[in-house]
Amino acid sequence: MTEYSRMAKGKFTSTGAAQVVNLPFKPDYIEMINYTAAAAMTDDVVPFAWWDANMGQGFAVIERSTGAALISDVVISNGFSTFSAGQLLQFGATQQVVASTKGTTTSFQVTGHGYAVGDVVLFEGLFQSSTTGMPQMNGIPFTVITVTDANNFIVNWNSNNSSYTNLSASPASAKVKKILYPYLYFPGETVISGITTGTTTTIDTASAHNFVVGQEVAFRIPSQWGTVELNTLPNVLTPGAPVYGYVIAVTDFNTFVVNIDSSAYTAFTTAIAVTSVPGLSFPQVVAVGDVNTGGVQISSGSALYPPPYFSPISTTRVNTINGPAIQGAFVNNTSQGFIIGAGSSVGDADAILVGAASDVIYWRAYLHDMSIP
Amino acid sequence: MSERLAVAMRQAEDLILRDYIVSAASQINAGGGSNGFNPTNLGMSDFSLVATTLDTNNAYKFMSGIEGMDRFGTGPVRSAYFMLSSTELQSDFDSLVGSGFLNQWNYPTNASALPSEYGSAFNIRVLTSSEAPVARNAAVNSSGTFNDVYYNTVLGKQAITHINQDGYSMNLIYRDPYYSGMLAQNATLAVKFAQAQAITQDTAIRNLLSTRLSNLGV
Repeated sequence: MTEYSRMAKGKFTSTGAAQVVNLPFKPDYIEMINYTAAAAMTDDVVPFAWWDANMGQGFAVIERSTGAALISDVVISNGFSTFSAGQLLQFGATQQVVASTKGTTTSFQVTGHGYAVGDVVLFEGLFQSSTTGMPQMNGIPFTVITVTDANNFIVNWNSNNSSYTNLSASPASAKVKKILYPYLYFPGETVISGITTGTTTTIDTASAHNFVVGQEVAFRIPSQWGTVELNTLPNVLTPGAPVYGYVIAVTDFNTFVVNIDSSAYTAFTTAIAVTSVPGLSFPQVVAVGDVNTGGVQISSGSALYPPPYFSPISTTRVNTINGPAIQGAFVNNTSQGFIIGAGSSVGDADAILVGAASDVIYWRAYLHDMSIP
Repeated sequence: MSERLAVAMRQAEDLILRDYIVSAASQINAGGGSNGFNPTNLGMSDFSLVATTLDTNNAYKFMSGIEGMDRFGTGPVRSAYFMLSSTELQSDFDSLVGSGFLNQWNYPTNASALPSEYGSAFNIRVLTSSEAPVARNAAVNSSGTFNDVYYNTVLGKQAITHINQDGYSMNLIYRDPYYSGMLAQNATLAVKFAQAQAITQDTAIRNLLSTRLSNLGV
């Protein structure tokens, strides 16, 4: 080893799904031992695997068991891959939107989309013609809330009104792409998808808000969307003084309640005419202020120094690589490392790289001083 | 090498603050342009709208105005907020000359102009950088034509800060070969920093999103 090389090792218990391993570097060589699989040596398990950066992303060389012997094989999709989540505005492949179905949530048909629940996607060009379609949704980051099947998924947007028309027959302009790293800094600015007025106000968002109880929030709602009374300014009582709300309950990743009595406020609407789309700004909620609920709580069974987390879907919590912090404070969630994917071997579709749930996996990762090529 | 690393050091600082602002600040989509995208390209009314928004929110301007002088081709400059934009939009700004955009060269005096300052429009002075945030092909119009989306950050004086942690900002570290290895073969040149970004007043900052009118010519 020379002075600039990097080595790391570790272990984890597999969930059967792709495993992200954060490191202070992006490795160019990875090796993996599935101890549980090596001990059992039952048919289809993958006790050993290797990857070199020159193989390409998503590949692996493996040894898999036939139940009687180990044989060599390869993974050519969803194998090992590296990542560097350091900058925003990185996107996955642009895909064609085939069709859409409007409703209180909106469904999209995209052939072989490959998205998972919790992914964040961005639509563009949702025009059926120059005056019809769903272009009101262009440019808004949406969380995929349901994956219906390999070719269809659903996002949280009420398109159930006459301003929207279904897309069909793969309109040339209609595209979608995944936002690769949507939560590098959070809580951030989030687009509002619905507002329920009342003595308290319930806010639905198009993607994860990552707010916590006690958070102070501000609203930016252009007049087309209705509930302009929530706007931070102008303040009708004290001119020039911002009006903020406080989060009093977090229902899930895209719903929270603020302490604002909106009983007499204008109803929120997503019924925006297609002709109004050029220059249309979105209704937004942003985290503000220094009021929050203090450090991340320690509870029975929790880590001693629990890190801040983001919540991409439902009430799932994903820890960041940071140390303990103040809840509600902005978190830098940049990271790099590698992923052990859930891809299967070419010769046996049941032989999965990342193993089965409860498998104990040991890994080593390297970054070499010199690689030829 | 050390000169390049010093540049990279400051660019890293800029990129972190840039991405933080893109994530956390409110957005206004430009609507004053004519290219039919959402957002549109920048029109003069967009400069007016965002400055009005910040004025209404009692943001502090960065610069006081520049009084007009008896010099050919120059015009007075209003007191202004800063807008941080991409160099790729400079040709769009040029197309607004005559509609109210004033190139920095046409200021009555360049004494207060910053090296990266491209010009001013109403109450906004525009700084350009190749590192400004842009989402490639993030807008598509009804004809299926793609356009890039630019995040033009307009801010008042009290909007953002960064906090130096543990008593230091950024260190450019050099250790000569004698101290860097037993055989004195390699020197060590490195950067380390410990700092955090913060929006101190969210009402004093807006990301003005726009597309581009002109081709890049690349």
